[in-house]
Amino acid sequence: MSAAATASSAATAPLLEVQELSCRFGGLLALDRVSVAVQPGEIFGLIGPNGAGKTTLFNLISGLTPPSGGTVLWRGEAITALPPHRRNRLGLARTFQNLRLFDGLSVLENLLVALQPRSRNSSLDGLLGSARFHRAERLRRETAWQLLDELGLTALAEREAGTLAYGDRRRLEMARALATGPSLLLLDEPAAGLNPAEKEQLCALIQQLRQRHQLTVLIIEHHVPLLMRLCDRMAVLDFGRRIALGSPEQIRHDPRVIEAYLGSGPQGAGEATA
Amino acid sequence: MIETLLQTLLNGVAGGGVYALVALGYTLVFSVLGVINFAQGALFSLGGYLTFLLMGGRIGVNGALPGWGLPGGLPFPLALLLAAAASGLVGLLVERLAFTPLRRRGADPMLGLITSLGAGVVLVNLLQILMGAEGYAFPQGADALGGLPAALAIGGARIRTIQLLLLLVSAGAVLALPLWLEHSRQGQALRAVAEDPTTAQLLGINSEAMLRLAFFLSGALAGLGGGLIGVSVSLPGPYFGIGYGLKGLAVLVLGGLGSVPGAIAGGLLMGLAEALVPSEASGWRDALAFAILFAVLLLRPGGLLGRRQLEKV
Amino acid sequence: MIDNGLLVQMLLGALLGLSVYLPLAAGQLSLATPAFYAVGGTLAALLSTRWRALGATAGGGFPVPSLLLELLLGGLLAGVLALLVGRLVLRLRGIYLAIATIALVEIVRVAILNLPFTGGAIGIFSIPQPFSEASGYLLMALLLLALAGGLCHRLEAMPMGRAMAAIRDDELAAACMGIDTTRVKLTAFVLSAMVAGSSGALAAHFLNTWNARQGSFDVSVTTLAFVILGGSRTWLGPVLGGLLLTALPELLRPVGDVRLVLFGLVILLGPVLAPQGLITPALLERLGGAGREPASREDHP
Repeated sequence: MSAAATASSAATAPLLEVQELSCRFGGLLALDRVSVAVQPGEIFGLIGPNGAGKTTLFNLISGLTPPSGGTVLWRGEAITALPPHRRNRLGLARTFQNLRLFDGLSVLENLLVALQPRSRNSSLDGLLGSARFHRAERLRRETAWQLLDELGLTALAEREAGTLAYGDRRRLEMARALATGPSLLLLDEPAAGLNPAEKEQLCALIQQLRQRHQLTVLIIEHHVPLLMRLCDRMAVLDFGRRIALGSPEQIRHDPRVIEAYLGSGPQGAGEATA
Repeated sequence: MIETLLQTLLNGVAGGGVYALVALGYTLVFSVLGVINFAQGALFSLGGYLTFLLMGGRIGVNGALPGWGLPGGLPFPLALLLAAAASGLVGLLVERLAFTPLRRRGADPMLGLITSLGAGVVLVNLLQILMGAEGYAFPQGADALGGLPAALAIGGARIRTIQLLLLLVSAGAVLALPLWLEHSRQGQALRAVAEDPTTAQLLGINSEAMLRLAFFLSGALAGLGGGLIGVSVSLPGPYFGIGYGLKGLAVLVLGGLGSVPGAIAGGLLMGLAEALVPSEASGWRDALAFAILFAVLLLRPGGLLGRRQLEKV
Repeated sequence: MIDNGLLVQMLLGALLGLSVYLPLAAGQLSLATPAFYAVGGTLAALLSTRWRALGATAGGGFPVPSLLLELLLGGLLAGVLALLVGRLVLRLRGIYLAIATIALVEIVRVAILNLPFTGGAIGIFSIPQPFSEASGYLLMALLLLALAGGLCHRLEAMPMGRAMAAIRDDELAAACMGIDTTRVKLTAFVLSAMVAGSSGALAAHFLNTWNARQGSFDVSVTTLAFVILGGSRTWLGPVLGGLLLTALPELLRPVGDVRLVLFGLVILLGPVLAPQGLITPALLERLGGAGREPASREDHP
């Protein structure tokens, strides 16, 4: 939503770009030649009716599903063949719509696990308990505590992740993704199940995080008014195709978008909310 | 030359038919429940021993009741059918003991692999305790086959009648099953539950009943196979079923998990491949099935005709 | 009566339990332990009976350093096999992985049965003895268990161990958080194989004879029972499971077949009645012992 972001986007190369991305499941074409470019520093929204292919797109971007056509580019380089963990090491992190926490680990351990791949861990060091290992562990723990602080999870550090309340689980999911030190954060329906007040907090949180961690954010959401406030730009998917791309204002008035959302009730794109 | 070739072919197809039986049993349960029933091999053994006992065979000296046997004996076809039915019933018992408790607790269905393995182990070892570990040969006299000659001459080759029977019965079962699945109401209901349990429920199909039907049929198929092998070869010991069970797994993967035509094709291929192993290398024959399995898993995990399963993210 | 001989068998059981535990700790149901156990045992049997340089005496004795060498080599050979096979096999998930490992066990078993130098169905016998009494083997087994158990314990506090636990909970999420899941799973698999291989080498000497049946599907079943009974959330579980389930049938002195019925019952009823096994992390915490390291804020400024 900031003018600065839209101005600079013209000059810089996209952080993430998907070109003509398609995904076929058996007879079903879940994504049909979708192209989107996300500029560094922006908050980019992805909306569309159920089954439009939004999460599928995330899965292709993060490398969990192979595309049946098209390319995924990171800072201009093709990463389509890279496995998920390598993409994460490049700076791409995500949360999951259905929350995939490490339920058997503690809250703190969930973050430690995500912090580990960032440093070179020699198993020998770990095995022998060398000074280098302890130093690395200490650093990881410091960072983990900072993140817990930032997301208000400090009191829950020792709790098993599987025992947390829903709202806390959502925040842990985000904290864990942040722990991997990303440049791009993919958020899959982070506001699901939150009440309006919590949605507001989430909005503010995402903006804070963008600031503090120099993030670019790509966010799927069902609650369209939330994205209208939050996003610099948005894309709309329907039946696996990109039917609109532009600023929230442009999207709000796009007839194809309105038609796609026809009958989806108070969350329709046609509604203007503060 | 022709004679050996014909014999080899017959061996291959006959053996393949039995493998297909076992694999079909797995497929039925897998398609409805999504899990492999590891007790299948044990049911195979059970079928063999039940057929033996029903034909009037006597328990040997190592068993729990030495010398015991049914007064008189049933003719082979009847004994086989009853044994198959009884195996089907035990299959239901396995479902009740190994799978239902997991479902009730909402546990990971994959645990069914482990519990059914346990059930199979219990069954095989109970058989061992009852029958002893010795080998049993079926009565081979003229009566055994109901008056048919022990061997027939076909195209200049002498074929053991029992092998022909084995081929015919297994072929019959293997072909009847897909037909039944396609065209009968029960069969279609079963397939519906396999495809989409929720919708099937909405359509009023009792998926619990279909599940039980699947287990019954699966057990019956295994029992049928065990009886056929028992009569045509012998019963080397209760563990022989485990071997068939494991090879049946190889066939299952070869043909593609959940595919009925795949199980049949895979079974035939496996049977032929084994039959083609020269007798000098017969010791390695057992490894062939698993080597093929290995190759399939690594090259084409979906199997020949299976559907690729994508994990829902 | 629990004599030294039974104790050795119990410890071997514990070791095999650990072998099954390691891949499971990374979420992989591998039934391949008997294959590696067989490889280690066969190697030791062959080396000690064929390789003069190791020093087997005419009276059937065997120098202890040579035994140690065999333990090492057995573990290494098993590890190398696991490395080669694991790369391929660990691409598979769930039931496919389990089936592939069963296939591996069968292939190894048939190979050992049919290779010209491994003694066929009878196997290799008169394997030389480094110890004249079971107490010697007891010490060796204890050392081996201490090593393997120590490794597992250390693993839990290391990044590798945490990664394994994460993969166990959710492999896809772990991959998306930057964890090289293939490498971690392979590590668990190779370690598992090495424990089994070394145990096999020791067992071959202890049992005095070795044949293909030592590495059969049966062993997959019994070792799985160890883990199910003992619990798979911590390494102490399979150790206890192995000790108990090896001792129990001997103590009860029934017909041999009842032993396997017992194992079958454990595997059948275990997942339902006691999904976490006997040794659960909760139990450990209550005992105040080997639970997780508590986080402290002293690292935080």
